[in-house]
Amino acid sequence: MQPPKPPQIAAVDVVPAQPAQADSMALTHLSARTDASPPPVAYVVKVKLKSRLPATSLGWALYVSDVRIPKYWEYEDGIYFTVIDPNFFAEHKGERLRFSHDGAEFHDTGVKLPGAPASATPVAAISEALTSNVQTSATSRRRTTAKKAKAKKAKAKSAKAKSKRKRA
Amino acid sequence: MAEAESLKDPGLPGEIPFDTVIYGSPPLAYPVALNQFVIYNTPDPAYVAGRINVSAFANLGFAPWPFANTNAPLNGHICIPRGRGPFPLAVFAHGNHNPLENSTPGYLYLCQLLASHGIIAATIDVNFLNGGFGENDARAIVHLEHLKQFRTWNNTATHPLHGKVDLNRILIVGHSRGGEAVGHASYFNRLASIGAVNLDGLAPFFLGPYRFGLSAVAAIAPTDRQFIPVSGPTVVPDPYYIIHGSKDGDVFDFQGYHTYERAHAVDLANPSVSSGKFKAMLWVHKANHNQFNSTWPPETGPGVAMTRASQEQVAKVHLGALAQAVLLDRAAYFDVLRDHGTAVTWDPPSTDFVSQYLDPERILVQHNQEGVVAPVVSLPVQGTVAADAVVATRALTLLTGGPTNTITLRLVWNALGSRLLLTIDPETLPAERYKVLALRVGQSTDPNNPVNRDQDFTLQVSSGSRTASVAASALHRLLYPDVPVAGPAKIMMQTLRLPVAQLVEDGVEPRDIRSIAFFFDRRATGTLYVGDLQFSN
Repeated sequence: MQPPKPPQIAAVDVVPAQPAQADSMALTHLSARTDASPPPVAYVVKVKLKSRLPATSLGWALYVSDVRIPKYWEYEDGIYFTVIDPNFFAEHKGERLRFSHDGAEFHDTGVKLPGAPASATPVAAISEALTSNVQTSATSRRRTTAKKAKAKKAKAKSAKAKSKRKRA
Repeated sequence: MAEAESLKDPGLPGEIPFDTVIYGSPPLAYPVALNQFVIYNTPDPAYVAGRINVSAFANLGFAPWPFANTNAPLNGHICIPRGRGPFPLAVFAHGNHNPLENSTPGYLYLCQLLASHGIIAATIDVNFLNGGFGENDARAIVHLEHLKQFRTWNNTATHPLHGKVDLNRILIVGHSRGGEAVGHASYFNRLASIGAVNLDGLAPFFLGPYRFGLSAVAAIAPTDRQFIPVSGPTVVPDPYYIIHGSKDGDVFDFQGYHTYERAHAVDLANPSVSSGKFKAMLWVHKANHNQFNSTWPPETGPGVAMTRASQEQVAKVHLGALAQAVLLDRAAYFDVLRDHGTAVTWDPPSTDFVSQYLDPERILVQHNQEGVVAPVVSLPVQGTVAADAVVATRALTLLTGGPTNTITLRLVWNALGSRLLLTIDPETLPAERYKVLALRVGQSTDPNNPVNRDQDFTLQVSSGSRTASVAASALHRLLYPDVPVAGPAKIMMQTLRLPVAQLVEDGVEPRDIRSIAFFFDRRATGTLYVGDLQFSN
């Protein structure tokens, strides 16, 4: 039996959301802020997985490059975590998401952290951000579009070469 | 090896009758998808518990829970001995599993055993935290809040448990992620706050205060460092016990060994000062992960692990012995922790174990934590180390999985008669104050260790002209590593305990110990790993 395989990421979206009171308390605690005022906006980073996390105790810590995301939770399509400080995206945009079960061996998912959405206006409560079909982030789409275009170009090139060989 | 002479098998039921009740936090209405939880909709009317707000620590998992993280229920099962009490308390918590399946009843077999010996034993519902990652601080809080509920009942004049719970004798036990969480609970138990969350029982979270008298913390196949406090990886401050199976197909890398190594580790600034607490480890060959919980299906294929009945028997014998020792003041059961051979007639036949025990009373002759340098005798003991045809190196060896901060001494020899000699200034080693010479040593799958063969050497202890020579195998087997379910084989060190009385019988004067040697005269080649060497009780 091989060691378990890390989760595979299908897409990453960042959604600005309005924290509910319970979210605010948790976010305040997590950010080690001492004031009790709820942050006006929290960014929900939705990491869509290709399959659900296995129900094992062994867990996969999620890293953005070398920064470990301390906690993440499950939702219908994968996992999510919340970010209060928009500077997080400025600092880590474009960095790769990685998983590790032991802090020693890392698995690069090949997926990068998108930037924060242009508008920081909350589109929904956190819970709604997880369930509603909110707009996917531009970066995630662009990546997919670029990938598709690249594949299309390669296919066309290969077909052209094939017909050239045939003619020869 | 010691024999179980006057001790009774702690895995057998006692004679105290007990009642089992379900407690919970009504009103609750679990939906059809969670039909395994409807038993908590109607708890025993006398055992209605409060709700807790864990929103600072965790969101709920994806299951359709009929509550929020701000009002999570305290559900559980309790086995209560009949009688006046007060009775010690043991509380079990499960780990991560499919949240649609109720993991809580999986430790009733252990609760029933303990209750029959006069211990109030409960198993708690933490299913709503299943899923996600990094939530083990929340699991710890849930565990402590359950203890708080028992304190409330104990202090309530009209409650059936009034005055029956001995709050100074508490054992917390966790399995899997719950096993990591009991370490955090032990740490949180002493805190006034965690980050911005005050543990004072007041708004907005109403969590704490705790400060329970934890007699011991036991972890069954735990994870490690899924939650990391701001101060760094949790160091368990209470007596610590860990049990793990070699065929664990979930936490296959024995992460909890790191927790074990951090607990009660040598203080380099004061190496002669002990934390005053014991720790003990049991590595069970052929035990898997899930069979410690009687409701979880085995994660390993047919024939890979021991039978469920055998694994439950191991859990009953060894956790039973721990509970007898720390909760019921039957100190003789510490012998099972010190030497698993004490339980040989109680354990399933032919089960192999590796065990470690660190006594709070000790003086270290060699702890190896001075740095990745040539081995030395550790201060305050003074002496020198000489290697004769032995390559002795210190390294941050990965004995289990994941990175480690603990240094281990590696000894490699390729000829009979090789020797590592520790020459000691007897003025600096008061060995006569202690009962045993104890060392941790284990073998690996290095190619110069014959496959599937016990490793062996002779321990030589000298005072002046008298030398005692004792085969390691006379103290315990040094097992070849079991083949793991995944990942590399583990290097598990066995604590060897050589009684000082035996040294005296051989003419060695404990006040005048001048050398201790590893003499490799029993196997032509080999690689051994040494954790530490100490005089101890």
